[in-house]
Amino acid sequence: MDATDPIIEMRNARVTYDDGETFVLDDVSMAVERNEVVGVVGESGSGKSMFASAMLDAIPDPGRLSGEILYHKDDGTTIDVLELSPEELRKFRWEEVAMVFQGAMSSFNPTMKVGGHFEETLKAHDADVIEGMARAEELLADLYLDPERVLDSYPHELSGGMQQRALIALSLVLEPNVLVMDEPTAALDLLMQRSILMLLQELQEKYDLTMVFITHDLPLVAALADRMAVMYAFDLIEVAPRDQLIGDSGHPYTRALLNSTPNLDAPLEEMRAIEGQSPAPINVPSGCSYAPRCPLATEECREVDPEFYETGVGHSTACHHWERARETIDLNFEAVEDDAVGADTEDHA
Amino acid sequence: MVNYYVRRTARVFVTIYLVASLTFGLVRLLPGGPFTLLRAQLLRQGVPADEVDARIANLQNIRPDAPLWRQYIDYMGALFQGNLGESISLGEPVVSVLASAAPWTIFVVLVSTILVFVVGIFLGSLQAYWEGSRFDQLVTGVSISLMSVPFYVVAVIALYIFAYQFGWLPTAGTVANGVERELGVPFVVSALKHSVLPILSYTLGAAGGQALAMRGNSIQVLGNDYVQVARLRGLSDRRIATRYVARNAILPMYTGFLLLLGFRLGGTVILEQIFSYTGLGYYMISALNANDYPLMMGTFLVITVALVLGVYVADLTYSKIDPRISAGESDEAY
Ligand SMILES: Nc1ncnc2c1ncn2[C@@H]1O[C@H](COP(=O)(O)OP(=O)(O)OP(=O)(O)O)[C@@H](O)[C@H]1O
Ligand code: SF4
Ligand SMILES: [Mg+2]
Repeated sequence: MDATDPIIEMRNARVTYDDGETFVLDDVSMAVERNEVVGVVGESGSGKSMFASAMLDAIPDPGRLSGEILYHKDDGTTIDVLELSPEELRKFRWEEVAMVFQGAMSSFNPTMKVGGHFEETLKAHDADVIEGMARAEELLADLYLDPERVLDSYPHELSGGMQQRALIALSLVLEPNVLVMDEPTAALDLLMQRSILMLLQELQEKYDLTMVFITHDLPLVAALADRMAVMYAFDLIEVAPRDQLIGDSGHPYTRALLNSTPNLDAPLEEMRAIEGQSPAPINVPSGCSYAPRCPLATEECREVDPEFYETGVGHSTACHHWERARETIDLNFEAVEDDAVGADTEDHA
Repeated sequence: MVNYYVRRTARVFVTIYLVASLTFGLVRLLPGGPFTLLRAQLLRQGVPADEVDARIANLQNIRPDAPLWRQYIDYMGALFQGNLGESISLGEPVVSVLASAAPWTIFVVLVSTILVFVVGIFLGSLQAYWEGSRFDQLVTGVSISLMSVPFYVVAVIALYIFAYQFGWLPTAGTVANGVERELGVPFVVSALKHSVLPILSYTLGAAGGQALAMRGNSIQVLGNDYVQVARLRGLSDRRIATRYVARNAILPMYTGFLLLLGFRLGGTVILEQIFSYTGLGYYMISALNANDYPLMMGTFLVITVALVLGVYVADLTYSKIDPRISAGESDEAY
């Protein structure tokens, strides 16, 4: 990877829940550039939430995280998040890197008004409450919410979309540099997903945010991301600039994922499910973890775990046969013109 | 909203009215009738029939010779004015018997129920905090054992050990005989000494139950996303423990507290018998034994009204305390 001005560098991050028998985040390294939007996609259970939580050293108990999470501050100094004292970590979180959780509906204390959440967060970080609340109101207004009404409401008095936006505002109230979002729109309808995405884009530009956006919805994040990363079986398997990843991915899994995705210009009937199942942490195969499902798998794949190959500008692919994958696995939306008639005969799901 | 409160309040009055009517029905209409015995007795003693009727009328505000509807109106009218008749066995107005008995019962029930919750909440939250530890297992074990022993067994054992064997605490009554019945240090000390065993035995098992409930609630709250988000936001442990975990775990127990208060009032019938503690429950049983129907109905009425009021207050205040429940939503909850 071509890291020029990274803000977060994750090195060999591993998460285990059973003292190193198995890993639910398996030796992941990745650099996030300052002010970029990284989209991380992968199917359910592939370790996306682990990846997100690792950036704040916030793996749910009793999981254990090892490796290095380097954070490059604005002033040029670098800290290893995993080396911070509890008090330093408490300050680091939300002031430098904030996180929006999967499931915003349950991210607010049900017996406390939304405004109380903002206030206590400001107080906990010794921030100026009056100034902070003014910023909160501006953020809420940026997100097209009525600040007074929202701050004075209990969480259950707001709709899911409003809670989600209020949570995004809460995550930005201390002006963090990085916002990590773990499926922030999963529980919302399509229209709301789109509008929140647009709001995020506006916020990102206005506040010069670095964003890590995690989702299983590839087209959703493709609309927003500068760079995309694909996770499979607890590890990243491909990282590339957005257009590069969508148009010229080198990993068979990414290509299958793109083909299984309905709305990237492709008609619905083109959707192709990926056969087989992703492995559980206990039986990740040696060699390439995708080998059991991969149409191109060879003996080499089963024996040697593929490292990242440089497969384009800023494009890394963990596949021994990336060239063959590009040649032999057609992408639906490329094939649309010459294959549209045949596709019509397939099931209209 | 207003409508809801009016409906609720109306329901309280209707319930109390129905209970009062029920006591009339029991007094007047039970086969054999409660006053038949007394009447026969008096007649045997050679009291003239007229006078017997007059005395009975005085006892329960019922004139046996009047038509039923007349009797009913007289009875309810008297009740409404706070006249519950006269106790047969004690020869005193029922109201004054109740007035002297009720404070003791209220004292014991209130103190023990508050203790139940305070101890339960305290133990339960510590257990949740150290979930799976030796302490947690120990308290759970003790709680379950205590819960499985009825309070009257605890009461009898405690009475035997601490009052009869060691003689540390009195065996019966509310205050010692020699003590002046007026507010002063000797009176308070004596009253407290007499209440220790009833309160203790009425607290232990129930506290175990509440500890288990609190433990479960807290563990459930701890597993919520908002607690994890609160930690990520950098809130202090103390704020998370109080404002997040404790508050959300205790809230659901609040209505339980008021209801339990009402129900435990009924339980004093047994408790006070064991300790010869002259509260409402004690008089209810002695009235039953003495065929003292006016007193029995009086205690019954007071205990039921207390229960109804407990439910009423729980209902009206819960929506104030838990913002998620707006008044009216909990309408038919109990
Ligand atoms: N507390 C835990 N103990 C043990 N294993 C866990 C725990 N939490 C998650 N895992 C495992 O870690 C793996 C990765 O989980 P993760 O939550 O990161 O998936 P995900 O990609 O975010 O999925 P989703 O899209 O469903 O949110 C899963 O296989 C899961 O079984
Ligand atoms: S390394 Fe082999 S098995 Fe793995 S994705 Fe590439 S071709 Fe398939
Ligand atoms: Mg997840």
